[in-house]
Amino acid sequence: MALISVALGRLSQSVLLLFAMSLIGFIGIHSIGNPVFNIVNIETATPDDIQRATIALGLDQPVWRQYALFLDNVVHGNFGTSYIYHQPALALVMSKLPATLELACVAMLVAAPAGTGVGLLAGRRKGGLFDRTALRSSVFALSIPSFWLSMMLILLGAILTGWFPSGGRGATASFMGLEWSVLTKDGLWHMILPTLALAVPNIASIARLSRSGTIEVESLDFTRFCRAKGLSPRRILFRHTLPNISVPIMTIIGLQFGGMLAFAVVVESIFSWPGVGKLLIDSIQLLDRPVVMATLTFISVAFIALNAFVDLFHAVLDPRVRLAS
Amino acid sequence: MKPGSPFRLLLLSMLVTLLAVASVPAGQVRAQELRIATAYKLMTLDPHYANLNENTSLLSHIYERLVYQDEHLDLKPGLAISWRATSATQWEFKLRPNVRFHNGSAFTADDVVYTVERIRDFLKPPSGGFRSYVSEIKAVSTPDPLTVVIDTNGNVPNLPLSLSSIFVMHRPGQGFQTTDELNAGSPPVGTGPYRFQSWSSGEMLKLARNDDYWGGRAAWPEVTFRVIESPAARVAALATGAVDVADAIPARDVASLKQRGDRIASISAARINFLQFDVGRETLPGVTDKSGTPIPNPFKIPSVRWALAMATDRGVLVDKILAGYATAAAQVFPSSLPGTSANLQVSPPNYDEAKALLAKAGFPGGFNVVLAGPAGRYPGDGESLQAIAQSWARIGVSVQPAAYPFSVFNTKRAAGDFALWYGGTSGEAVDIILHALLASPNADRGTGALNFGHYRNAAFDAMLAKAESIPDGPERNKALADATDFVMADQPIIPLYHFHHIVAYGPHVGSYVMHPRGWTTAMQTLPATE
Repeated sequence: MALISVALGRLSQSVLLLFAMSLIGFIGIHSIGNPVFNIVNIETATPDDIQRATIALGLDQPVWRQYALFLDNVVHGNFGTSYIYHQPALALVMSKLPATLELACVAMLVAAPAGTGVGLLAGRRKGGLFDRTALRSSVFALSIPSFWLSMMLILLGAILTGWFPSGGRGATASFMGLEWSVLTKDGLWHMILPTLALAVPNIASIARLSRSGTIEVESLDFTRFCRAKGLSPRRILFRHTLPNISVPIMTIIGLQFGGMLAFAVVVESIFSWPGVGKLLIDSIQLLDRPVVMATLTFISVAFIALNAFVDLFHAVLDPRVRLAS
Repeated sequence: MKPGSPFRLLLLSMLVTLLAVASVPAGQVRAQELRIATAYKLMTLDPHYANLNENTSLLSHIYERLVYQDEHLDLKPGLAISWRATSATQWEFKLRPNVRFHNGSAFTADDVVYTVERIRDFLKPPSGGFRSYVSEIKAVSTPDPLTVVIDTNGNVPNLPLSLSSIFVMHRPGQGFQTTDELNAGSPPVGTGPYRFQSWSSGEMLKLARNDDYWGGRAAWPEVTFRVIESPAARVAALATGAVDVADAIPARDVASLKQRGDRIASISAARINFLQFDVGRETLPGVTDKSGTPIPNPFKIPSVRWALAMATDRGVLVDKILAGYATAAAQVFPSSLPGTSANLQVSPPNYDEAKALLAKAGFPGGFNVVLAGPAGRYPGDGESLQAIAQSWARIGVSVQPAAYPFSVFNTKRAAGDFALWYGGTSGEAVDIILHALLASPNADRGTGALNFGHYRNAAFDAMLAKAESIPDGPERNKALADATDFVMADQPIIPLYHFHHIVAYGPHVGSYVMHPRGWTTAMQTLPATE
């Protein structure tokens, strides 16, 4: 029973959140400017053309009525038709999803083990050479802006050496009706630089978190007890320290993963990786309201789902949480 | 840590994977395939949806027009081999025989009827981009399968020019094809030199050669367009050899590309960037005297407009901001194109005379003005505002530059928030720009659509209307040049520059023929001869 009421509470919170997000997004994009100037060719259109297009898109209505109409359509599963691409907005977002999803997944698959590993090692030998190097480079990796990192990667990995392509998705293969780069050699090849660009800051933040966790855990009584019992340092690190620091790491992985799904805008733009982030920023620039709203809604749902997933995972990882409920 | 620990194993396996992947040769070039990086994002496969280069440039591989506008903006036979006006309100087009659509059916006059009807009657806003090109067509008849007779409402001497923008579609079994059907994958069927293979909106377009093309086989068996909107990414794609051609190259990257051995083609665009004054209202937002008190609209006085034009240093804009890849402007088109005036030349700034003119107009100390403009829409737009502010400071006019994203700029301009702004426009011919930019706003005649400053000059309107009634030819061009001379004497706008379209290409390409309309096509790309 307790579980159901918790789930219901979460659900109603989520609906409220989605509603608030949609209102903020809708008003925000409305107040930037009038999308009709991006739909007609402003350099050739007559005032009559503009007027007709405005009426056709319903932009002549007061904003509250436009919003009501939007909500009504969304409830019926329709996010409207993109002003710019003239395709159903949600389908457009979904068609860009595989590109983003595979990039985020691969980047996280690289970042999570690498970051945790570096953090564990650094934390165990606190003050050692490895620790100092890791700490300094993590500060560096966290503070360089991602556009600069991306451009340096292109400069080094593509232009100067010619090892990797400078952008694009490369060849894709079809799986479950969607196109995936991760399934082809050429596609994987194209993924390396953008994956690195996304992974490096995440490696740094995960490493810092797991380092401080390791230091804290290693000074606790049970670690000393393990040591006294004669367990090998490796066994202590992976069997006892790692599970104890995994809760905050899981939380940050969940958050960062959501962030990569939604806001890999810079990396996606520079590597011309046709993902959701690039679609969002393009659509905001063109004031393509249906696509912006569909993307924002999708991102919110993804964040809510990820958070719920992380919470569930806590219960699996942490017996205290499991027992409390 | 002991060897063989899980972490080390992990590291090792990652390294091995990386090395294995790294030994694969990167991006092998398939012979004879042309790869183009373009800034034009193809947004729809409906050739009649929106009149934007973003769509028409790429769709011109698949679809063709009755009349083609060549790189001198002269009209050349396309799907029509000849055309003539049979009376003041009637045109006859003879169609090219033995032309086949990509699905094998023959091209006939009925397809032209379908095309006109689809644009004029079937498509509903917002997909009405080409409507104004066919709105003067009263009826289309087909005396035989290779002749089209078009009756117009009144005299339309530039109907062939209008039709040079219209892609001919094939009449389907019944009804009209909707935009949704075309976007959703029913393959576009045209008569063009390349067939449609696949696309992804805003990402890429794949084409294959049409071996049955009436004009002979095209040069490239396969063409892939990659939409890359970020200029830096386009340059990088060309520099790494991922593409053979990249369009819309920023002027600042030209030198480094040349150094790498890539070649550059450029041409003055058939477009203009200019400053436009609001001359309609009595007072203007942001226009004040030096103490900040609003003053009556100074731009109503022609000598104020002259003084500002005289104090504008176009040399700085062209040489410094656009690195020489622009032509200073004194009229609406580059002077090499038909319909331009030989009398209008760019003169270097004359600050003393400009100051004297301002003083005579009653502003010896100058005034304050906000100069608005879009940022990132046209090459050099944001920087131009700064440069103009510096020039004008020398005659005492204090300019506050205000750059906005393009959509915000348009919304604010439509709301009347600006007194003076940087604008840009393009068109098929000089008269189209004069018609929209400088003729008095008049909804019935369709003039002045871009005359946001409400400039009115009845004598010029009459001259332009007269020129527009003359059939295409030297006489019409002369009349247009005279009208331009006449209106520019009043300085309703300050022409700044015609930026250059810049295309860079790599070793697989022999040469690239630039088009002043700024199209990027495989037809303009000639392969390198071995």
